Amino acid sequence: MANSPLLVPGSTDNLKATTSKSISKSKLSSAPPSSKGATPEASTKASNAHAPVQDMAEQMNEEEKHKYVKADFEILYCPGKKLGEGTYANVYLGHLVTSPSTLVAIKKIKIQAAYTEGLAPDAIRELKHLQELSHPNIISLLSVFSSKDQNLNLVLEYLPLGDLEMLIKDTEGVRYGAADIKAWMGMLGRGVWWCHENFVLHRDIKPNNLLIAADGEVKLADFGLARSFSDPYRIMTSNVITRWYRPPELLFGAKHYSGAVDIWSVGLVFAELIIRTPYIAGDTEVHQISLICQAIGTPSEDVWPGVSKLPEYTVPEPATPVRGKDHYLATFGTAGHEGVDVLMGMLVLDPRKRITAREILEHSWWSSDPKPTKNEDLPRKGGGGAKIGEDLKRRPGVLEDERGAKVARKLDFGGMK
Amino acid sequence: MAPSSVSEDERYRTSTQYRLWSFTPASLLELRTTTNRSAANRVRDAVRRVREARAASSGNTSEADGGNESRAVSAVPEGEVDCLSVEEELKLVTHFCRQTLQLGDHLQVPTDVKATAVQYIKRFYITNSCMTYDPKTLLKTALFFATKTENHYFRLTKFAEAITATKPEEILASEFLLTQGLRFTFDVRHPFRALEGAVMELQAMANGHIPVGDKLRGMDRRVKEAHGKAREYLKTSALLTDVYFHYTPSQIMMASLLIADRQLISLYLSSKLPPGSGSANAAISAKLMEALDRCAAMLQSMEPGKEQSSEEKKELSALAKKLRKCRNPEKIDLVSLQRAKREGDGEDEKVVKKRKLERERSAKEGEDVFGPTIPK
Repeated sequence: MANSPLLVPGSTDNLKATTSKSISKSKLSSAPPSSKGATPEASTKASNAHAPVQDMAEQMNEEEKHKYVKADFEILYCPGKKLGEGTYANVYLGHLVTSPSTLVAIKKIKIQAAYTEGLAPDAIRELKHLQELSHPNIISLLSVFSSKDQNLNLVLEYLPLGDLEMLIKDTEGVRYGAADIKAWMGMLGRGVWWCHENFVLHRDIKPNNLLIAADGEVKLADFGLARSFSDPYRIMTSNVITRWYRPPELLFGAKHYSGAVDIWSVGLVFAELIIRTPYIAGDTEVHQISLICQAIGTPSEDVWPGVSKLPEYTVPEPATPVRGKDHYLATFGTAGHEGVDVLMGMLVLDPRKRITAREILEHSWWSSDPKPTKNEDLPRKGGGGAKIGEDLKRRPGVLEDERGAKVARKLDFGGMK
Repeated sequence: MAPSSVSEDERYRTSTQYRLWSFTPASLLELRTTTNRSAANRVRDAVRRVREARAASSGNTSEADGGNESRAVSAVPEGEVDCLSVEEELKLVTHFCRQTLQLGDHLQVPTDVKATAVQYIKRFYITNSCMTYDPKTLLKTALFFATKTENHYFRLTKFAEAITATKPEEILASEFLLTQGLRFTFDVRHPFRALEGAVMELQAMANGHIPVGDKLRGMDRRVKEAHGKAREYLKTSALLTDVYFHYTPSQIMMASLLIADRQLISLYLSSKLPPGSGSANAAISAKLMEALDRCAAMLQSMEPGKEQSSEEKKELSALAKKLRKCRNPEKIDLVSLQRAKREGDGEDEKVVKKRKLERERSAKEGEDVFGPTIPK
């Protein structure tokens, strides 16, 4: 209640001007008008004469559905427009019925026979949070509708230029510098800030969840592990965030944590952007902790009061003192002095002392040289729509420890220290 | 690079609770009326169809075929169908929301799970009718679904076991309908945290940690009492009335505090909007009090802890009886309906099997090519 809301409605009538008309308004308000004037009651009245009519809820769903065309319905005209297929979801390229040039990605979530508890938690989390968050640096959920067989279809903005992981890995084809990194970090920082400002923890920030729009804008995607901030007395699971990006408090089994967990991941994305290989890439959780101790320093009561009380606190002997700025400058010097300050702030062991998303955005790094590259001048990779298909069809929220990390472990020995 | 300042109100206006689930009383009534009328028409049509089918099949008296149909037939009432009115539906929905709170207590789920479930039910029945979907069944689905959206996982089988005469498939059968009725928006903004925040600030003022003159000094006892009383209103009245559709969480919270201790809260508000410093504050303050009073009046229309009178009970059991006679006969067996929907439109067995094989293969490859998990 520190800043109590001062917006006071004049009367209940203009308090919330949502009328029955605007209930059919989707987030895509800037898109060309569709289903003009089809307010629920209008369509009900019109169809009352013909039985059987649908529930009003069903009618609204039909309206949303008919706003979009899935490319596979028109496969004769645009073949190959299925962007990806997976066990969790298929992704189609689609467009607005009223505007063929407005492309969208339609993620059709399959009903999972193996999951017997109804709609799966990852789909629920993704839907719940994407419905609430609208920000230029967070993937937009434009609409949701269901098809006849009760599969959910998420209409997402189409992000054709791949993800940050592709750029980082393509050391031959893509060259970028400090100003580009600053631009990407700015966009990531703003996306994460907006999540935290809205009391949402993302809990799976990593380069391949940072997708790139046609105009170069970076967007935070995959909210399958996201959740709202917990109440102080309610516990949360510590088994979140892909291992390489997982902060020490979660590795130590903390059940109460904050937005600081995401900030640690942001720090590791920053480090990876600079050195172009994952900075702390452990094979197991124990290995991850020992690598953190080497790279950052050993968490102890001195630097992090209370850490030894965390349920799974164990650190290797002998302890490594917390690294100083010189250590970081040697590896990450290309980010500049202030850039290194920001990085060190993100990688502070004690989550209470870690820099917050707001503090990141308020840092003087942004106003120091070089200025962040403009979106249109950012390095990019071609490759078209395959990537968003790959990214979107993945099961949101499933950590890639089981597959991805293993692949990297087998094939990427050279990249590891 | 400093973040643009976004006020709490601007943020609230991006929420689905504001964008899709806030109404003026008039527009809310209009929606409910439309829903009720169209459902009543459909009940009459469906009853007519079932009667015609029955008349057609009465020649051959083979009752043996199709359990579903014979059940639907037996549910069809005689004579003209007497449908529920909007007011009657609303009374029934409120009654079943109360039952949801009791069921939540029985299952010992946290307050926000119960609160979210009740809002799901209220939102669902804006565009769906009790005559189409029985609230007695839907409330279980809503409560189960709320355990998932509020991160309080409860195994479906355990959940069903804990409720008498409930099968897991019965709970899942209306899950899709529920999510559709919720327009696939699952986030509900409650006033509970706002209350904790306001009470913390009031305590700090009472203890002199926040200097606001002497007026609030030493009032910590009253703050505590107001806290408890306001919380009762938020846990019951706020959920059962329509306040969530008309007011913001912070307004609901403040209105409940106002009911609890008007004098204390007036002091609190005047410390936020000091009357001396310009006429703008006076105008804002008047507007604010007007909105809060209206919200408080709505909350007080359903006092917490008040037992239903015997007349109300009588009325409700009459309504429940009336509902049994005007249920849409085609929407009674939701479990079969849902199975038909999924199987009818879905893939045939072959496709399902192929997909299963693919899944297994990819899982296997994931294991084999890169070796077994390295032991931790």
